[in-house]
Amino acid sequence: MMSKRNIYMCAHNFDAMSKEEILERLAKSVIEGDVETCKKAANDAIVAGIDAYEAIMQGLAKGMNVVSDLYEKGEYFVPEVICSAEAMYAGMDILKTYLKTEKVKSPGKIVIGVVQGDIHDIGKNLVKLMLTAAGFDVIDLGRDVAPSTFVEKVVETNADICAMSALMTTSMIVMPDIIKELKKRGARAKTMVGGAPLSDSVAEMYGADGYSKDAAGAVRVAMNLVKW
Amino acid sequence: MFVNKMTPAERIGALLIGQTPDRVPVMPFVLGYAAKVCGMNLGDFYADGDKCFRAQLLAMDLHGYDQTPFYGYAAIGAWEFGGKIEFPYGPGHSAPIVIKHPVEEPEDVDKLEVPEPPAGSYKESIKVCRSAVKLGMPAIFQIGSAFTATGNILEPARMMLWLRRQPDLVHKVLRKAAEFFIASAEYFVKQFGAERCIAFDGGPTESNKMISAKQFGEFAFPYINQVHRKVLSLGVNVILDHPCADQTKNISYYEQIRAGAPGIYIWNFGPETPLELQIEKFGKRDIIMGNVDPPSFQNKPYEEVLMLCKENIEKGGKNPRGYILGPGCEMPPLAPPVNVHALIKAAKEYGRY
Repeated sequence: MMSKRNIYMCAHNFDAMSKEEILERLAKSVIEGDVETCKKAANDAIVAGIDAYEAIMQGLAKGMNVVSDLYEKGEYFVPEVICSAEAMYAGMDILKTYLKTEKVKSPGKIVIGVVQGDIHDIGKNLVKLMLTAAGFDVIDLGRDVAPSTFVEKVVETNADICAMSALMTTSMIVMPDIIKELKKRGARAKTMVGGAPLSDSVAEMYGADGYSKDAAGAVRVAMNLVKW
Repeated sequence: MFVNKMTPAERIGALLIGQTPDRVPVMPFVLGYAAKVCGMNLGDFYADGDKCFRAQLLAMDLHGYDQTPFYGYAAIGAWEFGGKIEFPYGPGHSAPIVIKHPVEEPEDVDKLEVPEPPAGSYKESIKVCRSAVKLGMPAIFQIGSAFTATGNILEPARMMLWLRRQPDLVHKVLRKAAEFFIASAEYFVKQFGAERCIAFDGGPTESNKMISAKQFGEFAFPYINQVHRKVLSLGVNVILDHPCADQTKNISYYEQIRAGAPGIYIWNFGPETPLELQIEKFGKRDIIMGNVDPPSFQNKPYEEVLMLCKENIEKGGKNPRGYILGPGCEMPPLAPPVNVHALIKAAKEYGRY
């Protein structure tokens, strides 16, 4: 939380700005990958009394949605998205301490990870970024994740979705086992898969509920699975 | 029933000098698959060049394809520049992975030294090459890509961030990576003679799933071009180039790499790049290889794989300078052997000249 002194200092240096202007600056700084401007805009939002959740969703997430569109259209690539992510997470780090839990509405909880034997996580991190921007509560298991870890975490958290990523043909083969085990355990979670060697037909063969060929599409698939 | 009229060496040799072989040659881009089909641990395959050669030789004999043994993997660069890799002994692993990158902070870049060859994995690669040359096969060694190697040195996500935030640092590492590949090529040429060498290049980090064509032009093209020009100037006459994953948007840069350069290229783009486009861009001078979707070998039944091979022969066979049937990337190590057999079957059934 900002100290009273810092709040006072910000207030004295603070040029009066409308709520819309601050939200616009949050979004723009994410789109441009400008970490410092994003941090300043996040602090300005707090000083201006903007609800933190609104600042995240209508500022940061809105910016990330634009980034996601640009990525899908082939105008942004991984370097641009990673810079935007840096800015977004910097803004979130400031705003999340001011979140009022009762105001947070989330489409659902997702457990995500790269399956065992696979350490390629850029794709998974892009998906995580866009799911976070879309408001999902994302639990990231990281990479080289054992099947049992997926299952236990999904059951423990009562997650809505289990999202698995693989870049190798040798690692993807554990996905049907994870899906089977989740069903056996009576988990209510839907499953979705992604990664270069996957496809619609392979996902269907594995028994997954959803598949996306890229990060932008993953949000649509997830929204569809939770019927948001 | 088709009976081979040429040995693999004669078949590839004919293609390289612009003559028509008896049938479409087959190069299944086998690496880890050879270990699996021999009952060898994948980790041993990559940790020991002698075992690597033996497994590949046995797989060649089993299937009767035209590819000869070679050593390489996508995580090249990390071990060579002082980082650490892990061999694929664990469940789900398919190739060596980087567990410690040589560069973790910006200050590490200036401390990076170009190693003397043979460094890291090249100590195993040289064993494979020696055994190959003893049997009259070419010495095939890896010359890149400098961009993918830089990603392995820096860690790919860090590299992507630095492309925007600290491009000068990325260029510094790219220069060192290029220097390393040139030094390694000089070493192999000195060991075996340029006429016995084939250089192979390629990597996934510069694919258009990761970077734009413009970024490829700025960060990947200059160094790939530099390495290729140097390798060709050493007298190496054949470069097998595998622009991994979707690099369709980078094609104009590959055309520039090729323009005016001597020798012959064997182009093996990913399955995302249509064969027709490859033929249009490179077909007058170069051999086209591919382009069957690799996961299909693992996931689809034999009959479907056979038809995919047939379709690729029908398209690729039109290349004026010659065509080799194969997947668009490494053969999945877990592919059922009958699906690798589909390549040879298709070449004999549908690829007769």
